[in-house]
Amino acid sequence: MNRKKKRSFAGSRTEALVYGILSLVILLAVWHLVSLGGRIGKFFPSPFLVIRDFANAFVHAIGRNTMLEHIFFSLRRVLVGFGLGVVVGIPLGLVMACSKAGRAFFMPLFSIVRPIPGLAWIPLAILWFGLGEQSKYFLICMTALVGITMQTFFGALYADPVLIGAARMLGAGKFQLFVHIILPSAIPNIFAGLQGSFAGAWCAVIAAEMIRSDEGTGWIIFNGMNYANTAQVIVGMVAIGLVGLIASTLLKALERRLCAWNIQGK
Amino acid sequence: MEHSGKVAPIIECRNVSKTFKNKGNSLEVLQNLSLSVRENEFVVLLGPGQCGKTTLMNIIAGLEPATSGEVFFQGERVAKPNPKLGMVYQTTALFPWLSVMKNVDFGPRMRHMPRKERREKAQHFIDLVGLTGFEKAYPIKLSGGMRQRVGIARAYCNDPAVLLMDEPFGHLDAQTRYSMQDAIERIWSREKRTVVFITNNIEEAIFLADRIVLLTNCPTNVKKEILVDLPRPRDYVSRGFLKIREDISKIFEITK
Amino acid sequence: MKKRAKYLLLSLFSLGLFIFAWYLVTDILHTFPAQALPSPTKVVLTLVKKFTKKAPDGGTLFQHIWASLKLALYGFSLGAVIGIPVGILMAWYRKADLLVTPIFHFLRPIPPIAWIPLMLVFFGIGQTAKAAVIFVSTVTNCILNSYIGIKQTKDVHVWVARTFGASNGRILFKVAIPSALPMVFAGLSLSMNLAWMSLVAAEMLAADKGLGYMIQYARMMARVDLVIAGMVMITIIGAILNRILSAVEHAVVKGRHMQ
Repeated sequence: MNRKKKRSFAGSRTEALVYGILSLVILLAVWHLVSLGGRIGKFFPSPFLVIRDFANAFVHAIGRNTMLEHIFFSLRRVLVGFGLGVVVGIPLGLVMACSKAGRAFFMPLFSIVRPIPGLAWIPLAILWFGLGEQSKYFLICMTALVGITMQTFFGALYADPVLIGAARMLGAGKFQLFVHIILPSAIPNIFAGLQGSFAGAWCAVIAAEMIRSDEGTGWIIFNGMNYANTAQVIVGMVAIGLVGLIASTLLKALERRLCAWNIQGK
Repeated sequence: MEHSGKVAPIIECRNVSKTFKNKGNSLEVLQNLSLSVRENEFVVLLGPGQCGKTTLMNIIAGLEPATSGEVFFQGERVAKPNPKLGMVYQTTALFPWLSVMKNVDFGPRMRHMPRKERREKAQHFIDLVGLTGFEKAYPIKLSGGMRQRVGIARAYCNDPAVLLMDEPFGHLDAQTRYSMQDAIERIWSREKRTVVFITNNIEEAIFLADRIVLLTNCPTNVKKEILVDLPRPRDYVSRGFLKIREDISKIFEITK
Repeated sequence: MKKRAKYLLLSLFSLGLFIFAWYLVTDILHTFPAQALPSPTKVVLTLVKKFTKKAPDGGTLFQHIWASLKLALYGFSLGAVIGIPVGILMAWYRKADLLVTPIFHFLRPIPPIAWIPLMLVFFGIGQTAKAAVIFVSTVTNCILNSYIGIKQTKDVHVWVARTFGASNGRILFKVAIPSALPMVFAGLSLSMNLAWMSLVAAEMLAADKGLGYMIQYARMMARVDLVIAGMVMITIIGAILNRILSAVEHAVVKGRHMQ
């Protein structure tokens, strides 16, 4: 944010790239040096070891599954739980926004559930659904549900009244207003809700897998911890971070396609 | 212009008042306002400030109720939004998720008009406002003037008997504004409807109106009505035009 | 004021409705076995008793709350104190931006709980590991939000300040930082919630006191009433922390929303 801001675009791009690579190299070098010596070194594997283990994991199994299979397990759990959250949350949000009776009925229940932090549901989920997959689906669903419902609710509730008035002047009936005006108005909000909730849901999967499971990316780091295999822990963390990043990038790309019409801050 | 006094006015406001109440304060925006509009007349409501003009428009459209007084449209009391009134907004109020074509044919679509008929009708008005070729564009890609043309086409396409225009050119720059005034003049002479047009720009009022209704600011009421009997299209600097302009300026105490 | 009272009334009403329905379903209709869903009276009783009773997990509710709160606030404040300035500096000085941001982008996608095992390996089972986890997640979020906040500084404001002869440093302190405050507080709020949640999760995994530990232990003892009581407590404290932060924001960030 200083005087050098007005550089040519091409120049700044390469500059950024150079610095980026430089910082990465410095990081790896420092990491490697730290891993070589002393007490910390004992716990700290060299970055090259980690990279090697990471690549290895795709071919040789950690535990009973290869890396891809672990990722698959985690993804499947997230998608099912998140899907449940979407299937319940979006209609719930819409009903609460558009029907006074619906709001009166559901809002109290929702207000109770809403402030509960997602991970606080873990013990209850296990008590109610056991240690298998269902408790995980429940947990992920509850974590995602709150955000999705709230965003859908606000998106539908705060549909531009001028647009609603314009539609009424053009002859739209109540149901038509809902389908043609309120629903499209809410879509950007719904996507914001999906993106926000997905991050939480991904956290929930990891937590659930750490607490009780035999496979999945969360299991990888938990297992690594149990055997003091720091390299494995870091491998797991990288996997978790990568998958989360890819998923949220995909979600953003989807939003950009569907909401290309959005006039932000007109 | 035929001034046959025997024909009932298409819109009639009788002693309309509107008061807004907010936490113990009340604001009277319209005070005993009476107004009538004849069929195919181009009436311009001219007044400074942001007080009651839009409210009056909303009451005529049926979007808001009056606190007291009555509004009649085609002889019947106005109670709820009526598609026979078309509205054009200062903010254009286009549906951003729909293309130009889908915005314009929105009204007929709500009435379940068959697709082919709908599209032809919409195309007619898209051509009329000069946006041929932009049917598939989205509002976010259009300039302010173009968006307003879509708004006008959309209002027209629903076959209204009356067009209500609420400062439609307020957000446009001066150049675009002149060309839009021109466009409205052309469109209106090709497709004659009753028009009630709100503006705070004196030039614009004289250029477009058959009759100008001068409004006071808060609370809004009719100050004076001026007939504009000049031949169309009008010349901004003709003597007749400038005379009316001077008269209005004196009434609003802009010049001495 | 009237609107506020109305909403408060509505909230109380919904709370009452919920508790009544719960009571109906358990104590009167007995739709669920007592193992699965205890009646609200039992939960309240358990909650109240737990304030002073040490069984079954070896600590009173006070002790657990204090343990959790201490850790959360410690990690949080450390993270904020370091994260906010770093974020600001990163956004303001180009060299720092180019150097640190790539590293940051690698660390950010990793969810805070994923740090738990690593920290446990480093620091062993103790308070430090958990504080470290909270520190990492708070630092990341504070850096991010402060960074965005500074980056959002309006060019116009900077130019005006320059025409008044302000130096780079003064512009930073008098223009950029104040206008970034809403974003900074958003980061703090996010970090607070995340910290509280991560702490509870960490305590479930490896701890011998704290609210997370308490509900995990209760789960293993199949004491649903204690689990729910614990959830209630966790929720209440989370809400209180949020409120406090909100109040601080209101006091510091005055009249910002005049766009």
